[in-house]
Amino acid sequence: MADQRIEPILAERASPGASVLPAPVVVAMPEARRPTRLGQLLEREHILAGALLAPTLIILALFIAYPFLLGIWLALSDKVVGRPGSFVGLENFRVNLNDSIFLRAFQNTFIYTFIATILKLILGMLAALLLNNHFRFKRIVRASMLLPWIVPTVLSTLAWQWMFDATFSVFNWSLMNVGLISKRILWLGDGVLAMGCLIAVNVWRGMPFFAITLLAGLQTVNPDLHEAAEIDGANAWQRFWRVTLPLIKPIMLVVVLFSMIATFADFQLIYVLTRGGPYSSTHVFGTYAYEIAMRAAKLGQGASISLFLFPFLLTVIVFQLWYIRRND
Amino acid sequence: MAVRYGSPLKRALTFHIPLALLVGATLFPFYWMVITSIRPDAELYNVRANPFFTLHPTVKHFQDLFALTMFARWAWNTLFIATVSTAISLFCGLLAGYALARLQFRWAAPLGTLIFVTYLVPPTLLFIPLGDVVNTFGLGDTPWAVILTYPTFLIPFCTWLLMGYFKTIPREIEECARIDGASRIQAMVRISFPLAVPGILSAGIFAFTLSWNEFLYALVFLASPQQKTIPIGVFTELVRGDVFYWGPLMAGALLGSIPVALVYSFFVEYYVTALTGAVKG
Amino acid sequence: MATRESSASLNRRAFLGVAGAATGVAVAGGIPAMVAAQKAPTFPKGTKLGILEWVSFVPASDVEFKRLAAEFGKLAGVDVTVDLINMNDLNPRIASAIETKAGPDIIMMISNWPHLYADGLADVDDVAEEIASRDGAYYEHNKKVSVVGNRWKAVPLCSVPSTWAYREDWFKEAGAGKFPETWDEWRKVGVALKKKNQPMGQAFGHSLGDPNNWAYSVTWGFGGSEIDQSGKVAINSKETLEAVKFTVAVWKDCLDEGGLAWDDSSNNRAYLAGTISATINGASIYFVAKRQFPDIAKVTGHAQMPKGPGGRFYNIGGQGRAIMKSSKNQQVAKEFLRWFMDRPQYEKWMAANDGYTVGPTPYWEKHPLWERDPKLIPFREASKFGRWPGYPGPPSRKASEALVKYILVDMYAQAIKGMKPEDAVKWAEVELKKAYTA
Repeated sequence: MADQRIEPILAERASPGASVLPAPVVVAMPEARRPTRLGQLLEREHILAGALLAPTLIILALFIAYPFLLGIWLALSDKVVGRPGSFVGLENFRVNLNDSIFLRAFQNTFIYTFIATILKLILGMLAALLLNNHFRFKRIVRASMLLPWIVPTVLSTLAWQWMFDATFSVFNWSLMNVGLISKRILWLGDGVLAMGCLIAVNVWRGMPFFAITLLAGLQTVNPDLHEAAEIDGANAWQRFWRVTLPLIKPIMLVVVLFSMIATFADFQLIYVLTRGGPYSSTHVFGTYAYEIAMRAAKLGQGASISLFLFPFLLTVIVFQLWYIRRND
Repeated sequence: MAVRYGSPLKRALTFHIPLALLVGATLFPFYWMVITSIRPDAELYNVRANPFFTLHPTVKHFQDLFALTMFARWAWNTLFIATVSTAISLFCGLLAGYALARLQFRWAAPLGTLIFVTYLVPPTLLFIPLGDVVNTFGLGDTPWAVILTYPTFLIPFCTWLLMGYFKTIPREIEECARIDGASRIQAMVRISFPLAVPGILSAGIFAFTLSWNEFLYALVFLASPQQKTIPIGVFTELVRGDVFYWGPLMAGALLGSIPVALVYSFFVEYYVTALTGAVKG
Repeated sequence: MATRESSASLNRRAFLGVAGAATGVAVAGGIPAMVAAQKAPTFPKGTKLGILEWVSFVPASDVEFKRLAAEFGKLAGVDVTVDLINMNDLNPRIASAIETKAGPDIIMMISNWPHLYADGLADVDDVAEEIASRDGAYYEHNKKVSVVGNRWKAVPLCSVPSTWAYREDWFKEAGAGKFPETWDEWRKVGVALKKKNQPMGQAFGHSLGDPNNWAYSVTWGFGGSEIDQSGKVAINSKETLEAVKFTVAVWKDCLDEGGLAWDDSSNNRAYLAGTISATINGASIYFVAKRQFPDIAKVTGHAQMPKGPGGRFYNIGGQGRAIMKSSKNQQVAKEFLRWFMDRPQYEKWMAANDGYTVGPTPYWEKHPLWERDPKLIPFREASKFGRWPGYPGPPSRKASEALVKYILVDMYAQAIKGMKPEDAVKWAEVELKKAYTA
């Protein structure tokens, strides 16, 4: 009798993309038997909740909460490799703020994050608009578009590094052969240009994420609204700006905030492409912290550099939470 | 905003060309990877040679990759690590997602937020002290160092995704089961979990690819060549002092990307659902 | 090779050693003595020895090293594992080994790292001094970087000298029959070469090897230095300013302008691709050329660094092997180092390096490999002009920090990019002061 009630509900749930829903499970209900002590306990919601959440909370406590506190202690200490550290208060922070490379890293992290995010948003939006049409090979195109995001960043960045190589760059070769330039462009040899390359690779990698999620958002926009607007004389641009955009703002915001957090804390891309060079001009917080902690063996100072990520991330997350709450 | 009509020229300009450019720019680096991995060294290091194709493809780089490094071992490591950490994260995420979506208890909201807020402490912030913690537990240079730390960024995502799934399963189903005598746990396991299988698959694929992709923790916690994962191994061992082995590097990059791209290609729908589900949910 | 000498000393030691043999205790004269005395190795079964080194720029020497390590393992009944990783990634490994008090027993030290990691390294006075008394005193740079506060923290292994690899044919066409002796002559030839699209090449990126070869050598060559003999920061001097101005000028006139993004391997590739005419490098360019680009190898020569007003210098710190203080196998490790540095073994390893390395003591200048290929002779001579980072001051943890932060390299790089030389030098002064007072 349970089955009869399940089926219609399941049918309701079936949606276009979920054609892979498994057949309803026919469950043979066990006979009622006397619940065990443990069983009885677990009937109570908050005990069961506790038990279910326990593994997660343990892992997060051990490997996030505790190290975080440890990181704060390290940042306030003068720990170097091989010696126990002692408390030095805000000394590390003072040193950082007087370190020209650190200040450059500070600046770079923000520039990198903001410019890359804006570009990803614009290009992702364009891509989503393009993909929101019906055409042959749409599925393949959509699937292949996500590849930059799927493939391990290190590996694709290595390919980019070779493409930007000072002597062998494929871009230089092409541009020179077409006659557009006569001297090699030193992609990774100039501070500003290298920063541009980093942003370009980040955008290449991250744009699919924006494209796919914005596409999903676009698909929830009722086409009737567009028809109505068209009838009212709105052109394509106005339709986009007045009808589409407001409706997908929520999803846009969430994607942007997610992406900003990840980009702000990026390490891989910069480390592989430039390692913070040339002459330390493309360091971001992550790579500089790594350099100081792992190369100069100053763990306390390295931790203090990492901590600079925290205020910004806090701001973004608080904003995100507030926004979600507002809509609930 | 579909380009439904308009002259063929307009269509080409506003649709076909941009789309072609987009797909081209997206896929070019992969084409590059493939070409570089089959070009002979003489062409690779010749400034004047055309870099876009080669008339003398060679498998030497792939052979070198396996001869010079422990690539096969890295592939195994990466697979093992990705699978186990995904399994752990799915397990935790499934339970936590159910608890947060279904059960009423006082700490539901704060705990939900708490799990979300773990993104406040990304690996870049944690890796230095976490290295200490990992070493204290004696896990340094073992796969468990990363298997146990990857869930820190995989679990929150799995939790939300599955929370979303559970929320769409009507309570009535479970209540029916409980009326019929099932315990809470039985209802959970036998009714709700199976219904969430699509969600589990989606979260699993996403977690698997994230895991395969991870770099910083693996770089810091895994030391000996036998323990390395593909991203770390390719990056640290094919750059030998003076000599960048670009051919094998790209071969390694290619082979390192294929498994995850394959898995992904079989489950594209799930992956996309995961992405969009998380963002919406 | 002086084999007769060594077998005589072996017998002497064997005689002394037999009497003192005991379980698990190193015998005076070590493994060679045991072997000569035909005593079974006396380390407890299951002893392991972990060794961590860089991936050598000369693949053949890696093969030989692994073979030797396995041989030692058999002789001593010990399980030896050798890990080879990229040079630039050694620091994090060392840091983690020291912090966790676990990991390899023997780790390679590059340049003045023993000072950076002194707290985590064991004293190896006995081994180091034994070798010196047999083979002669170490080169000064090897000794300076390995001795911290009067104790030997690493056993010097070798140095990797660099010289200028250059295209003899192109230089001749540009009017230089031999490689220029002074920086002024060098600049003249460089101008002529760059005009013909054959610039010289130099790395100014963040990599341990090549960029420092210019930064330190040219600074010293013009008479400047990071610190003076007492250890005070002395970079802001007329001499350093001259060096920086010179570099900025020749950047445009003589050098390949891709150099700012170059790491240790870029100049190799560029030279072998024929886009540069000369570069400072170890012998690795020549090896690859001999194997893969024989036409280039034929016209490649090696020459010493040009002389500046302050003299002729190279940045050489040398490499050494250190034993972790936390290692539970220090005796085995010491035995390995003794055995490896002993002539029969070292000789083989050095031969495999084919001129890429020089020994830590002048004894190895007599190795026949130098006779085999006369083009390699400049490398042998080069180590005489080698100095450690921080010269003429004492090497120290602070000098390592300056090295690791690429302060000197960045000083030049920033001046090249357009910073006024005076400002670049001042910047370096500020950064060095921070490193030296911290």
